[in-house]
Amino acid sequence: MKRELAWQAVLLVIVAGLAWQLLSVTQANLARLGVDSGLGFLWQRAGFEISQKLIPYSADSTIARAFAVALLNTLALAVAAIVGATLIGTAIGLARLSDNWLVSRLALVYIEIFRNIPSLLQIFFWYFAALRALPRTDSSLALFDCVFLNNRGLFLPVVHAAGGWQWLAAALLLGGAALCLWRWGRKREQRHGARRRAIRWVPLALAGLAGASLLLADLSLQGPQPTRFGFQGGLVLMPEFLSLAVGLSMYNATYIGEIVRSGFVSVPKGQWEAAESLGLPRHLAIRLVLFPQALRAIIPPLSTVYLNLFKGTSLAAAIAYPEVVSVFAGTVNNLVGQPVFIMALTLAVYVFISLCIALFLNWRNRRIAPSAAP
Amino acid sequence: MIRPGQGAGGTQSWRQSRQDWLRDNLFSSPLNILLTVACACLLAAALIPLLNWLVIDAYWSGDSPQDCPNKRAACWPFVRARFDQFMYGLYPAEERWRVNLGLGLAVLLALPLFLPRFSGKRWLAPALIVIYPLLGAVLFLGGVFGLPYISTGHWGGFFLTVVTAVFVLSTSLPCAALLALGRRSSIPLLRVCCATWIEFWRSAPALVVLFVAIVMFPLFMPQGFEIDKLLRALIALTILMSCYMAEAMRGALQAIPKGQYEAAEALGLGYWQRFFFVILPQAAPIALPPITSHFINLFKETTVLLIIGLFDLLGMVQRAASDPAWLSLGASATGYAFAAAFFWLFCFSLSRYSAYLERRASRYKTTA
Repeated sequence: MKRELAWQAVLLVIVAGLAWQLLSVTQANLARLGVDSGLGFLWQRAGFEISQKLIPYSADSTIARAFAVALLNTLALAVAAIVGATLIGTAIGLARLSDNWLVSRLALVYIEIFRNIPSLLQIFFWYFAALRALPRTDSSLALFDCVFLNNRGLFLPVVHAAGGWQWLAAALLLGGAALCLWRWGRKREQRHGARRRAIRWVPLALAGLAGASLLLADLSLQGPQPTRFGFQGGLVLMPEFLSLAVGLSMYNATYIGEIVRSGFVSVPKGQWEAAESLGLPRHLAIRLVLFPQALRAIIPPLSTVYLNLFKGTSLAAAIAYPEVVSVFAGTVNNLVGQPVFIMALTLAVYVFISLCIALFLNWRNRRIAPSAAP
Repeated sequence: MIRPGQGAGGTQSWRQSRQDWLRDNLFSSPLNILLTVACACLLAAALIPLLNWLVIDAYWSGDSPQDCPNKRAACWPFVRARFDQFMYGLYPAEERWRVNLGLGLAVLLALPLFLPRFSGKRWLAPALIVIYPLLGAVLFLGGVFGLPYISTGHWGGFFLTVVTAVFVLSTSLPCAALLALGRRSSIPLLRVCCATWIEFWRSAPALVVLFVAIVMFPLFMPQGFEIDKLLRALIALTILMSCYMAEAMRGALQAIPKGQYEAAEALGLGYWQRFFFVILPQAAPIALPPITSHFINLFKETTVLLIIGLFDLLGMVQRAASDPAWLSLGASATGYAFAAAFFWLFCFSLSRYSAYLERRASRYKTTA
């Protein structure tokens, strides 16, 4: 016990000494270079444009706002890539389990090819080769005359609420509340066996209200209109965003595919046979017996893939997609020359969001994990 | 189910068995027939244009931009003209024998480590980790023994990729072992320090860590003390990799039954004796597969170096493709295809090796 205390004291002294040494040298260096440290630079005028912004921003905005814009771009990319990777990965994983020889082999080939090529190389391929090979604006590929693809990006129609956005928000809220109440009511009925009329009518009434406010919102789809110089209106996904989303999705989907496959394989064969002998039809057996058990094996490794994917969004700096690393560690650092704070802030963003993702997935995992054995 | 031709004891013809296989695996139900046809169409739609582009329409002979008149077809002269740069970066041509010698020596010296039956691994591996970096530094950097000095600014291409991966692997393994032991130590403060350190770096992307290293290291150093850019990147990657490897090792340490620790303690062995003679020989086979897969990731991750201005294989391809003389879609896409094939070959064979190790480790576990 005494020895342990002594060791801890020695360790503390060493760590503190190193930290102090590092700090003093850094401060001396900063003073020599004439850098005044402080977070004041965040409220300076930014003076540079950002090509993709989800919130209003101009060169006259503050650097703090530029940071927010970049952070939102990172998150948008991460969400798009996570959704894409999950969809492709699940499809690939299920294809690997198929009885059909060709289907499972194709999935295997996909996994082995895309997993063993660096994701940055794949992103470069999509950005510098594949998207450049697309037609120019005047001869862009069109789908139903409302989705256009050319070498300037992907042009999508957007939802437009003529009656005002507040009605749409109200409809979503009411609809969500109705759904939650309905599910809660069903669970209650199953548990207590008793039926209550209110539990049935309230969600229905809420859903009716949601429908009414949806009508008031007067939704319509606004497609991009071709003009002489490209397209007007609608939602534009930049080529940078597209190639990053595609590259990251396809790369990480290989990992997700393997996880999904091994998740389903890990469910004992007896479970499937038991479900069959109970007379459950195939789709119910998959939904009620196989899937919940497979999910338990899938979620923990899946969270690692999601974290890696989120970290992978920093590769966007290589093709100048305006996200945290390229805007902050690149542009802003060159502009104001405050390396210590900027690097610390960039690191902090990634560490914080990674921890949030990890905590969220742990919480989900605890919810679906089998309850502790009695 | 007995089909005609079956059951007659080995008289089933080859054609019959082939037909059975096709029916069972491709055409067993209407849905399966549909899937097979759809997949075949998909395959054809992907493969035929690819083959056309890569082989049939491609230009094969010559080594100048004039040899590829069609800017959209694959242009192999581009790869031929720049092959040396892809391999060695800007390393002077008359000194490239040093790179070949150094990498050849590495392969020769490390080969026994991959032989399952070689028993001197526990001596060879630490010796290589200590000696090889020195040898490599002398050969590749020069400046002593009459070898001309070649700055790391000239290093590049596949050479840089390999040097980075091998250097980071050999430095991060000992660091990772210390971190893993620290995280499982009985000293609370040490445990907390190691856990925080590991979790912090594991949640940061490699690119950000590299940026931090490039920008911050000069600030951490006393005045007049300069660290080479490549060395900064290598240190950053070592910090990062050692955290990932530490987790792999911790997993292996946890997989060893508690009785082994207690038995070693009961024998009166000291801490390091327990570790080297009892724990390590059992933990190594378990830790090896995840370590190999981290190494594959590291190999792929080296491409990130190009963002901070160090030109690895992909960086050299990128640089060559932006040369105005070669500027064309065909040339750049061919360059990417070449780099992809190169990376794929290395990562795929490493992953096969890792799968083999995993099979061996599981056998080891069941027989133990």
